[in-house]
Amino acid sequence: MPISGVIITSTPEHLDEVLSELQQFPQVEVHGADEKANIVAVLDTTSSEEMETIIDRINKDEKVLNVGVTYLNTEDEAEQMAQGEKLPKPFGFRKPQ
Amino acid sequence: MAQSRRDFIKKAAALSAASYLGMSLPIDPRNIARANEGVIWHRGSCRLCGVGCRVELGVKDGTPMGIRGVAESRTNFGYICMKGMHFWKCMRHPDRLTKPLYRKKKTDKFQEISWDKALDIAATEFATAHKEGGGRAVAYYGSGQALTEETYFFQKIMRAGLQSNNVEGNPRLCMASAVGGYLTSFGADEPIGSYSDLEKAHCFFIVGSNTAEAHPVLFRRIMRRKLDNPDTVKVINVDPRISQTSRIADIHLQFKPGTDLALLNAMAHVIVEEKLYDEKFLKNYATFRKGKNVATSFADFKAHLAQYTPEAAAKKCGGSFTADDLRTVARWFATSKGTMSLWSMGLNQRKQGVWANNLMHNLHILTGQLLKDGADSLSLTGQPNACGGVREGGGLCHILPGHRLVVKEKLRNEVEAAWGVPAGRIPPKPGLHTMAMFSAINEAKIKAIWINCTSPVQSLPNCNLYNKGMDREDVFIVTTDIFPTLTTQKSNLVLPTSFHFEKTGVFGCTERRSQITKKAIDSPGDAMPEVWIIREWARKLAEKMNDPVITQCIVPFDGLEEDYELPMAIWNEYTQKLTAKRDNDLRGATYEVLEQMADGVQWPAPTAEYALTGGTVKKFVKGRDPMADTESKNDLPYQFYGPAHADRTLWIWHRDQADPDEIPDAEYPFYLSTGRIIDHWHTMSMTGRIPELLRANPYAYVEVNPKDAERLGIKPGDMVEVKSRRGVNQLPAKVYEGPIEGMVFVYWHDQHKDRMINKVTKDAIDPGSKEPEFKICAVQIKRLSGPQPLRPYIV
Repeated sequence: MPISGVIITSTPEHLDEVLSELQQFPQVEVHGADEKANIVAVLDTTSSEEMETIIDRINKDEKVLNVGVTYLNTEDEAEQMAQGEKLPKPFGFRKPQ
Repeated sequence: MAQSRRDFIKKAAALSAASYLGMSLPIDPRNIARANEGVIWHRGSCRLCGVGCRVELGVKDGTPMGIRGVAESRTNFGYICMKGMHFWKCMRHPDRLTKPLYRKKKTDKFQEISWDKALDIAATEFATAHKEGGGRAVAYYGSGQALTEETYFFQKIMRAGLQSNNVEGNPRLCMASAVGGYLTSFGADEPIGSYSDLEKAHCFFIVGSNTAEAHPVLFRRIMRRKLDNPDTVKVINVDPRISQTSRIADIHLQFKPGTDLALLNAMAHVIVEEKLYDEKFLKNYATFRKGKNVATSFADFKAHLAQYTPEAAAKKCGGSFTADDLRTVARWFATSKGTMSLWSMGLNQRKQGVWANNLMHNLHILTGQLLKDGADSLSLTGQPNACGGVREGGGLCHILPGHRLVVKEKLRNEVEAAWGVPAGRIPPKPGLHTMAMFSAINEAKIKAIWINCTSPVQSLPNCNLYNKGMDREDVFIVTTDIFPTLTTQKSNLVLPTSFHFEKTGVFGCTERRSQITKKAIDSPGDAMPEVWIIREWARKLAEKMNDPVITQCIVPFDGLEEDYELPMAIWNEYTQKLTAKRDNDLRGATYEVLEQMADGVQWPAPTAEYALTGGTVKKFVKGRDPMADTESKNDLPYQFYGPAHADRTLWIWHRDQADPDEIPDAEYPFYLSTGRIIDHWHTMSMTGRIPELLRANPYAYVEVNPKDAERLGIKPGDMVEVKSRRGVNQLPAKVYEGPIEGMVFVYWHDQHKDRMINKVTKDAIDPGSKEPEFKICAVQIKRLSGPQPLRPYIV
């Protein structure tokens, strides 16, 4: 269950709208924003895939200029991988049959 | 209420992000300590582009578990991109190569063998090839992702051991034209300025670069600069394709592929006609050239530019911008308080790549937009160590370590003396450049080749042609890699290597900055660091060839353990003996110094004391570059001491517009251009194995301009054939107002045989840099069917 710290930069005139939209994601915790439209947020997801999906959705918002990751912790998944419970085997990484 | 470990981690994550903004959060910083319990953070560099972001890999109980940016690093200030966030996840992937694999014939199945046997086979094959054809029959093809210690050591064994200058690497495919441009314009390779100019620039001229996707962390810095100064900072984007980078541009000049030389000349025309040049700068520092030995004058240059009126250029470029747009851009460029140009493969991967680079530098020399804060002509590197390892460490067929040319006897002798091998041991002629090397493999003139950390089967242009040679049974191929690739599939011997953070070594990024990454975790299985592999291979080679000079090449490294002592000894030999008093003087950047620095050292850095300040931010400026003082020849503040210009001036070149090698015609009516996407890296052997990245873009597609799509009846998702005179792809269509009308665009990462775009690209090369023209060729476009289910493919 990965956790990341991110800085989401919106276009300055759309900061409030972006903050409002971020509230719709239960996985996103907003910790603050500055006058330059930088938003400090924590993403807490059930899987790396969900993390990817959320970042991608935020990134594709036209009012968002950039999502910058500063910290990522996936120790739960790493532990699972180390114990062989969950291998990082993406779909279709072998030749199609 | 008691807090859980997840609470501590979430608070640490919030504090981490807030710290980059200087924002205070009502969270106790002791949460970070609690989150870090049991975790060791190992500092190093990201390895998935040329920016050189500093990161820390979190390791818990020997397993990598997280990554964070290094806030005090002047490359990324703590930010990392999507690739950087995920790259470490492939470290423990089950596909990692863990045993040496061998097969006598390429049609046989691989068998696991011991390291002793594997190195014996490699040595026997190279010794046999050498006996038959001398140094010309053997070759090394390396990578801008190999550590400097690896590239340097490989080329030492090739040149002094096997007496072969057949030393090349994939930077030939991406940076060679930038090298040619810097040498011929400024007399010295690599940029004068640094990333720190980004925060001081008032005008950005971004040409032939999708910085937002290829160098996202630097894009973030440009974006921040623009957003903080929306009225006073201008961003100019010049590209045939509108991309993510265009989002922050004040103006985008979209031009027909291959016409940018006319565009750049027209900007010079405006600057000259409107007297926007810096007369004093020109008088003190610049001269004009038609050829290397043909000096001209400002008047000649002005006459040469007469034909490049903004009106003529706007027409030549396809008519999607006006002559006045071009005038505006030239004025912004010339008159800003500091103009910074940034480019990557759009200028380099061209048949006129060196010329395009020269024309870019011309604008900076003319306007004096150089050497002062906020002004620079900066080529963005694609790979993490193309500059450090390959350009500086002697990784191309015509250059020796320390920016020395092979053809200069005095410089060869300096290298031979440093290595303690007889004078004359290094052959006097450069070896074969990349495309000539693989042509020689097609003809089996090269009998044994070592391919390290790269996959030419997929990355060479017109790859079908060269793959035939690599299939030949009379060409022995050994590859060193961490994963199976399309190239390991054509190899006889595959040697498993340690990955980043599993070994120690130095990367040198775009801005002359060298940074160390130390071993943090063990390699899986029997994978070994390349430096150990090279030494042990050379030892066997010396025995089989009964050649004491090969032994001499490894004597300084005998008995050293491979995780730290061996790479350090190699780095010391290279920096202390071969960069001394060269323009890339790295003597001060010892491991001891590099380990103390959050973000390494920028050369020149002749002493440890100076290196500990961070090194040289601006080359050639007295008081800011120690060599500008020690090499000073007059009272002027700038001293161009680079090795290529004996007259110590900057050269402004007459370079005409010249068409690409292949332009569309009635039979092949579209331009094809290729490039990179944010989620993937090169041939996808790493990023294709990281589920998050693969899912984001599981397969390549072709971008088609909506007007072209309408004319051809292509709808989004339809399957489309992209065919050139060399090869064909079948890809889903993305109908998108990105590429200019008449041009299609395909990402080059996909390994699938139907979507591998380098089957289609052209292998024409720049006559100076020998870099292929990946960016432009002519193709047919045809709708095949409606959308089809596709699956990603990784070898």
